[in-house]
Amino acid sequence: MVLERVKLSTIAHGRSGDKGDMVNIALIAHRKEWMQLLVDCITPEWLAEIFADMVEGHIEVHPVPGVGGVNCLLHGALQGGGTIALRKDAQGKMMGQVLLQADIEIDGKLARKLKVPLG
Amino acid sequence: MPAGSFTRIGGGGGFWGDQVFAPIDLLVGEELDYLTMDYLAEVTMSIMAKQKARDENRGWATDLMDWLRAGGISLLHEKRTRLVTNAGGANPLACAEAVLALACEIGWNDCRIAMVNGDDVLPLVEDVLSGGSLVDHMSTGQPLSEVAEDLVSANAYVGSGAIARALENGADIVVTGRVADASLIVGSMLHSEGWAKHALEKGMEIFTPVSEWAPKGVKKPLDVLAGWTLAGHLIECGAQVSGGNSSDWEIIPDLAELGYPIAEINSDGRCIITKSEGTGGRVSRRTVAEQLLYEIGDPQAYMTPDVVVDLSNTTLKEVSKDRVLVSKTKGKPAPPTLKVSASHRDGWFAASDLVIPGPDAIGRAEKADSVLRGRLSDLSGLEIYTEFFGAGASLPIGLAHLKKEPTEILIRWAAKSPMRSEIIEFTRAIAPLVLTGPAGVAGYSARMRPREQLRFFPFLLERELVELRVTITMMQTLRTRLQEMDPLIDTVLTRIQKIADGEPEGLWRRRVARRVMKRLQKPTTTGK
Repeated sequence: MVLERVKLSTIAHGRSGDKGDMVNIALIAHRKEWMQLLVDCITPEWLAEIFADMVEGHIEVHPVPGVGGVNCLLHGALQGGGTIALRKDAQGKMMGQVLLQADIEIDGKLARKLKVPLG
Repeated sequence: MPAGSFTRIGGGGGFWGDQVFAPIDLLVGEELDYLTMDYLAEVTMSIMAKQKARDENRGWATDLMDWLRAGGISLLHEKRTRLVTNAGGANPLACAEAVLALACEIGWNDCRIAMVNGDDVLPLVEDVLSGGSLVDHMSTGQPLSEVAEDLVSANAYVGSGAIARALENGADIVVTGRVADASLIVGSMLHSEGWAKHALEKGMEIFTPVSEWAPKGVKKPLDVLAGWTLAGHLIECGAQVSGGNSSDWEIIPDLAELGYPIAEINSDGRCIITKSEGTGGRVSRRTVAEQLLYEIGDPQAYMTPDVVVDLSNTTLKEVSKDRVLVSKTKGKPAPPTLKVSASHRDGWFAASDLVIPGPDAIGRAEKADSVLRGRLSDLSGLEIYTEFFGAGASLPIGLAHLKKEPTEILIRWAAKSPMRSEIIEFTRAIAPLVLTGPAGVAGYSARMRPREQLRFFPFLLERELVELRVTITMMQTLRTRLQEMDPLIDTVLTRIQKIADGEPEGLWRRRVARRVMKRLQKPTTTGK
């Protein structure tokens, strides 16, 4: 399999917010049929590596086939919770947009078939 | 619109502090059956509880009065739109009295306000703990007893039953404390679609699971409730579904005149999300999808007091410009417990910032930070957190390679300590950096006052413990109450009103008449 490197924002858009000490990052594929590409690369392990210095708890990734997205739950990501976090972004509202800048590696053949614009 | 009846519900605000004119815009431009206003974020109840402790008339979202005074109350009256809001916060009584007084000011004397109370479970917590029951933090497992003495507030997320019953009792305006955000909308739908009427006729209690309220012939009531709940979730954050906070911010038209959302909710659970006519913003599959997943947790089990929503297979379809059809949402029975959001005192906090130029902005910022920390190093309880904005403060470690050489930096320090005095020391140490740190430090503003920190402590309680406490109080003016007891009294009241309004009767009589009329405007209450 030939992997192609693209920005996450090439295949998805998203939004993030808080619930207690958890940050909820929603990622939605630009086209519903691109969801598989998201599911393949957005894993708890990948997110744990990216957010290694921010997330203390476990990470869940839930597929959302209806809208073609994944919902990522980052537990222990807000220094104890939005009301007491020392970070300026105490509710994790930036984290989704920040994550969209990340490079991901997707299956080149599948990406071409799905007409993903590759660099 | 899909077949069947539908109800138009507006979402006029996303939090306490949202744009105050938004509900007016919705009321002026649209025909709505209900206007819902959500004022309560996770932290809001604890702030309101502290306000109420200082002043018994406070502790509720006073923003409500700003737009009601600016014509909102007259619009509600003239257009016969019912208002359902959790603006009551920690003090629904004070909120409801203020709204009723305002209604009388515009001559809406027969305005009926329902107050839903009982979400405050702080007294109950003491009983539960002293009874030896164990209650733990929902995520960390910390026992509640460890923080019991520092608790400031504890409010259960109450469901839609009481709202629906209040509307069925004839309320024009429903004021609640902490109810689940989406329940404002679900309660309105239960009333609009006849579920509340059916439940009342069958003698059901307000805490009978609302899925059992469905009249005969309603197919899959849990799916219907899930659809209504999701519609509520989509509009309860105001304009976040109609173009605000969107990844498409560059192409969203006219954000300055952003329109607030409307849900056209079908009896079968489907809905169309749209926004008020002639406004900026956009309702697209993309803006709705972002809000759909916003802060919901597990998409197969979005927990609410009314129903557990499975939105993993919910579909979105753009049916025309700024109109998105939401369908195929599934529901599961509501959990046997209710979530309580409690908060407890957890030390003191302050934050401050300064700007610093290049060249070598990072070197200068690091120097300023180390100087500050050196000067405060003898304070044993102080924890300082530093961020260099402009130099990659938003980037987690896995994206650190995206950092670029900044031309200037905003240094932001946040500090916490169990001791207020240490926080004061911290705030005093910022300004001197301008004259005693690296060259070019600027931007000092007034010292922040230390703020008491409230740590959020969510836990679960058995439903029945909470639900038996929930009450509905119908509030109306004494005049309305008298009229209901004896319609003939109207003749007398009209006569007194004329005297009060200045009919030639002599000064003394007029004063007495005015006194009577004033008394007649006082709120009176009847229990559930």
